[in-house]
Amino acid sequence: MADVDSSVKEAVVEALALDDDEVTPESTLMDDLGAESIDLLDILFRIEKSTGVKIEASDLGDYMQGGIPDDEFSDDDQVISAKGAEQLHKVMPQTNPSDLEGKLNADEVMTLFTVQNLVDMVKTRGDGAGG
Amino acid sequence: MATAPGASGPGLKLRVGIDAVAVERLRRLVEGGDKRQERLFTAGEIEYCRGKRRRYEHLAARFAAKEAVLKAFGTGISQRMRWTDVEVVNEQSGRPRIVLGGAVAAFAERHGLRDLDVSLTHTEGFAFAQATTLWERRGACAST
Repeated sequence: MADVDSSVKEAVVEALALDDDEVTPESTLMDDLGAESIDLLDILFRIEKSTGVKIEASDLGDYMQGGIPDDEFSDDDQVISAKGAEQLHKVMPQTNPSDLEGKLNADEVMTLFTVQNLVDMVKTRGDGAGG
Repeated sequence: MATAPGASGPGLKLRVGIDAVAVERLRRLVEGGDKRQERLFTAGEIEYCRGKRRRYEHLAARFAAKEAVLKAFGTGISQRMRWTDVEVVNEQSGRPRIVLGGAVAAFAERHGLRDLDVSLTHTEGFAFAQATTLWERRGACAST
């Protein structure tokens, strides 16, 4: 597999038309770098092309939720539960579960997702695919 | 301002979602290869847009509709959905209607979606969609 760190960075730089030094591992894709959903798709497609690791939108949700059922991950108003916050901390170690539990809405989860989190996800998916 | 009848009862809640998509951005994404069009749009959506002079405006409006629906659901793309789980179909009159499938349909069922409507438009360079959803307010329903 191509070097994942550089493949992800290249995909982010090209999809968002950024300068190389604007993208750091700690940059959040949506808030810091200004990615929208269609940009995330573009980034995932580019990563697939360079690394062979295929990630669908549904995979992103699965990875975030880690197999926790929807009604345990968030409440009826889509606010993240304690269990959900712990899971998000696993895939986004920079987050503090106590800052998320009962406060973060499900549709805001992606705003916390960093370039490094994406690298980790691609590596996990690549390993899982045997690649 | 008047409130729409039936939308303000104690057992119902209204949520809207809106999205805009740059047509050129969508065109570049779809034309990147690897059957991307088929991963984002249903066969029916692709067929509807095929041959239209403003094909990419129509596809962009459909992509915006998927996003608008997910925003109205309050889930965004972090839920375990596929883009094809939200399909725009057109009634004989031409009016767009949303058909849900897969994980998005299951979410709607579980959370008590009562009604869903969508409106699409496009102009030079951009496509827009607005989705309006009506949900059962489960806790309130139980207490009445």
